[in-house]
Amino acid sequence: MKDGQIIDHLFRHQYGKMVSILTRIFGLSNLEIIEDAVQDTFVNASLKWRTKLPENPEAWLTKAAKNRVVDLLRKIKADQNRITHFNNGPSSLLLNDLFLDHEIEDSQLRMIFIACHPTLNPKDQIGFALKTIAGFSTREISSALLLKEETIKKSLIRARKAIKENDLSFEFPEKQYIPQRIERVLEVLYLIFNEGFHSGKKEMLIRKELCGEAIRLCKMILKKEMFRTSSGYALFALMCFHSARLESKVNDQNEIVDLKNQDRSKWYQPLINLGNDAMIKSTSENKINTYHFEAAIAAEHLKAKSFEETNWEKILHLYQSLSELRKIPINQLNIAIVLIQLKNYPEAYIQLMEINPKKLEQRAYLYHASMAEYYKVTKDKKKAIEAIDKALELVKNEAEKNYLTKKKANIISGEPV
Amino acid sequence: MKDFMMIFIGEDYGALGLSQEELQQRMGKWFAWNQKMLDAGIVKDGHALHANAKKIVGPDRVVSDGPFVESKEIIGGYYIVSAESVEDVYEIAQDYPDYDLGGAVEIREIVVFQQ
Repeated sequence: MKDGQIIDHLFRHQYGKMVSILTRIFGLSNLEIIEDAVQDTFVNASLKWRTKLPENPEAWLTKAAKNRVVDLLRKIKADQNRITHFNNGPSSLLLNDLFLDHEIEDSQLRMIFIACHPTLNPKDQIGFALKTIAGFSTREISSALLLKEETIKKSLIRARKAIKENDLSFEFPEKQYIPQRIERVLEVLYLIFNEGFHSGKKEMLIRKELCGEAIRLCKMILKKEMFRTSSGYALFALMCFHSARLESKVNDQNEIVDLKNQDRSKWYQPLINLGNDAMIKSTSENKINTYHFEAAIAAEHLKAKSFEETNWEKILHLYQSLSELRKIPINQLNIAIVLIQLKNYPEAYIQLMEINPKKLEQRAYLYHASMAEYYKVTKDKKKAIEAIDKALELVKNEAEKNYLTKKKANIISGEPV
Repeated sequence: MKDFMMIFIGEDYGALGLSQEELQQRMGKWFAWNQKMLDAGIVKDGHALHANAKKIVGPDRVVSDGPFVESKEIIGGYYIVSAESVEDVYEIAQDYPDYDLGGAVEIREIVVFQQ
């Protein structure tokens, strides 16, 4: 390792691992002390490794974590019984076992379930997961979730408090609760992924990391047989399909490139293959949920060699099935957009009229942008401009605003986008 | 050739609350700089220093615990390099990774006693 390069995100990933292992040893009640101690280990490593990297950085960090355990043992006096338990005789063997790869993953999975525990406020779960499992700092979480750092700090405090007050133990859920608990875990991963995939406001780097983390954690869940579900596979497929074209969504000038104008040769084939593989596995049970449809829609887009060759009929059908399972305004809006592509303008209009844009909350501008598109293709320039102005009024994010401004210019000039 | 000490002054990484990702990047930069100096054959010695300090003062040799300076002025480490002149050391010090964190490099020539 001559150039001082170590595996990307090694520190971050190692942080998540160590916090999980140490939590398994010392219990969730000591989480805060553990996180501080692990943080110290990395500050030390960053000083020690300035001139020479250890032979195996990962092993070095693991060893440092072990030493840290001993330090902690001295510091946490309240937990005396536990300490003797780990210090003496055969249990010290047990301690070493916890640092084996499969046990590390086991510890991390436990932490995922804690992060998604029903006693935690759903709003706090994502931040807590990013901090504790993915090793993001509060500053990184705040830029990832577009929330103030102070808000994140409070959210983390609330999550830790909920863990303490409910005296959660660092165990997997009992068997009968696994199906419902795993659903929430997948949902949180889905939300983390969407934070990365859908926001044009964030830097590409942070978006990639969010998507990457969601995929990594989803994979970890699928590796463990007792947590493997068809919806887990479908979610994994969905993430792979979307990620395959993440990079082509933005051009070099950091401008949004819509599906129509994306360079399809840049779509990343290995991820598409992974997604296809997961898609097959996701149909082994006869259960179909929203992830299946969302993944199928994404796959359909990937299949088309050009925008013009998109099978809109099939996509419409999939969106309709999705909407039946989950009748939310964004799904209905998508149906309307597809109907416009199919040139079924009267039906598109009916759909659009049924939507209450306020229910789309921060995405209400998408509704008005779609209205603008509708009026544009039905040649009502005046109304199209009115609608696009409304969209421009509501949109917050700079890149999207630029995109809509261009669209407005197109409406005025009458040229295709 | 003369020997110079580059003394690094700034806030402790721990106190700055750097993230794992940032720590790893910082470390990579330090590593690259060190490598560059090694390749040029100019570096003689150098170490990072822990932030905690002890001080022994006065005829009674009273020991006290640090820190003794403002947190932004902690000496975080040093290098001893060989160079023709202090101007050459300015050049070397351009690669110091922590200017953006408010860090500074102090350059001092090492005194050589005549035989």
